[in-house]
Amino acid sequence: MWTIPTLIGVLVVLFSLTYFLPGDPASVMLGPRATPELVAELNERLQLDKPVFVRLAYYIFGVAKGDLGSSVWSGHTVVSLISKNIYHTILLAVTSLGFAALVGVFLGTYAAIHKRKGIGTAVTTGSLLSVAVPDFVAALLLMLLFCIQIPLLPSLGAGAEGDIKDIILHLILPSLALAIGWIGYISRLTKESMLEVLDRDYIRTARAFAAPIRTVFYKYALKNAVIPTITVIGLGFGKLLGGAVFMEIIFNRPGLGKLIVDAVFARDLPVVQGGILVATVMFVFANLLADISYAFVDPRIQYD
Amino acid sequence: MGTHLTVTTDTPESLRGKILMPKQSIGTRLFKILKGVTKTRGGRFGLAFILTMVLAALFAPLISPYDPNAQDIINRFAGPSSSHWLGTDYLGRDILSRIIYGARIAALVSFGSVILSAVVGVIMGVLAGYKEGTKFDYLIILIFDVVISFPQVILALAIVAVLGPSLFNLIVALAVTSFPFYGRIARAQTLSVKESDFVKASEALGLSAKRIIFKHIIPNIMTPVIVCLGMDMATMIIYEAGLSFLGLGVKPPTASWGIMLRNGYKYILTSPWMIFWPAVFIALTMVAFALFSDSLRMTLDPKERKK
Repeated sequence: MWTIPTLIGVLVVLFSLTYFLPGDPASVMLGPRATPELVAELNERLQLDKPVFVRLAYYIFGVAKGDLGSSVWSGHTVVSLISKNIYHTILLAVTSLGFAALVGVFLGTYAAIHKRKGIGTAVTTGSLLSVAVPDFVAALLLMLLFCIQIPLLPSLGAGAEGDIKDIILHLILPSLALAIGWIGYISRLTKESMLEVLDRDYIRTARAFAAPIRTVFYKYALKNAVIPTITVIGLGFGKLLGGAVFMEIIFNRPGLGKLIVDAVFARDLPVVQGGILVATVMFVFANLLADISYAFVDPRIQYD
Repeated sequence: MGTHLTVTTDTPESLRGKILMPKQSIGTRLFKILKGVTKTRGGRFGLAFILTMVLAALFAPLISPYDPNAQDIINRFAGPSSSHWLGTDYLGRDILSRIIYGARIAALVSFGSVILSAVVGVIMGVLAGYKEGTKFDYLIILIFDVVISFPQVILALAIVAVLGPSLFNLIVALAVTSFPFYGRIARAQTLSVKESDFVKASEALGLSAKRIIFKHIIPNIMTPVIVCLGMDMATMIIYEAGLSFLGLGVKPPTASWGIMLRNGYKYILTSPWMIFWPAVFIALTMVAFALFSDSLRMTLDPKERKK
C-alpha cells in the first residue's frame, strides 16, 4: 500500500518541475519564438494560468486517466510518443539484463566450483574491473574498437524495422556495453553466495550420498545461490534505465532515454515529465516484481 | 527509560567513564579503518591512485604542462608527441593538461555533492529516527522513498534541465538524487543509538533534544555515513562525466572529463585519442575507487577478513 503515496509523491515532484523553472514557464518553453499570443495560448493549453493546487489536481487526475499531456512542439500526445519509443528501450534493457544474468550466473558458479584453479581469482579480478568502468565509457571504448578500428558492427541507429538480423546487429554493442558491469557484479555475487551454499550441510549430505556432482552443483546448490542475484536485478533496473539513456544517445538509438534528453534540450516539459514518469513507474514495478519473485524462488520467505 | 541515575551532579562529559559511551573520536576510528585498507595490495593501489588524483587536482596549475584552455589551432588534432604527451584536441588544446584540470572538476563535483547530500540526509534521517513513529517521521520516510523511486541519472538530468546546466546546479542535482541514501543510514543508526545508555542518561539529565542530537547522536552515527561517503564519490564522478557528456553538466570550455568525452565523440572517426584518453582516465579512477572500497569493505566486515 506504501506504493500509492510514493507514486503520488513522484507526481508532485514531476509537477513541481514546471514550478521551479526560472521565469514564466510558457515563455521559457517557447524560447526565442515566444510571441504574446503563443504564450497566452500555451498558458491556456497547459492551464498555467490557474492556481498551483488546481494545476496539481488537474495533473494528477490527468495522469490517473492516462493523459500525460501533449508535446509543446509537435503536438503529438506524450502517450503516443512514449509508446512509439519505449519498445526499443525495453528490448535493450531486457537483452542486456538477460545476457548479463546468464553469463554472470554461469561465470560465478564456475568460479565457485573451480576455486582452486585460478579461475576464481580471474573472475574476481575481471568482475572488479568490469563493475568499475562506467557503462557509457565502456560503450565509447567498444564503439572505438568495433566500429572504427575494426569496423565489424554498425554504430548508429536501431536497425531497419522488420529486418531481424539488422536489429540484432545493432543491438550487440549497446547491450554488451550495458551488460559488462552487470556480468561482473552478478558473477561475483553468485560466486560468493555459491561458496556459502556449498558449505551447507545439505550439500555435504548430497555429496555423501554420491549424488551426481553436476546435479548437486547446478540443481541443489545453484537454486539457493541465485536468490541474492534476483533482488539485485530488480534493484538494478533503475540503474539500467539510466544507462540506457547513454546508450541511446551514443548509439543514436530511438528510445525512452533519447526521448527524454531530446525533450530536455527542446524544453518540452510535458514530454520530459511523461518520460520520467514512465521510467519511474517501470523502476518501481521492477522492484515490486523482484520482491514478489523472491517468494517463488525461495518458498521459505512468507509475506504478511 | 530503564536507567535510574542517583547522581545528578554529573555532567554528560563526566558520565563518559561511568556509562557506556564510545571513547574513540571519529578521527581515530577513521584512521584505523584507513590503516586496515592499506594492508591489501588493491587497497594500497586504490588509495595511492586516489591521492595522486587529489594532489593533481590541488596542484593542477603547477604540474600541467600547458594552460588547459590555451588554443594552438595550427597543432590541432595532433597525435601524442614529446611536446603534447597525449596529443591535442580540435582546438589544439593539450589533452594531458585538460585531464589534469578535469580532475579538479571531478573532485569538486563529487566532494561537493557528496557533502551536501550527506549533511541534508543525515539531519533529516537523525530527526526522523529521533522522533520515530510520529507523523514527521513518516513524512521524512515518504520523502526518501519518493526520491529513491526515480532512476537516479534520469532525476539528476531533469533537475539540471530545469535549473540550467552549471557547476553549482550539477552539484545540487546530484545531491538531491542521493541524500535519501544517507538519510536512511542515519535514521537506522539513530534508532539503535538512541536506545543506548548514554542517550537515555542525557535525556534523564534533562538535556535539550538539540544538544542530544548534535552532541551525542550525530558523532556516534558518523562512521558508516563517512564510509558510504567515500564510496559514493566514485558514483558522483561518473554522474558528473555522464551528465557533462550529455551536455547537461559543466559548461564548456571548462576542462571536465565528461566534456572531453563529448568533444571526442564528435571527432571519434578522425582523432580517436581525443576520446580515448579521458575514457581511460575515468576507467582507471573508477578501478582505483573500486579497489579502495573493496578493501574498505573487507576491513569493516569481520566475516570478510577471514576469507
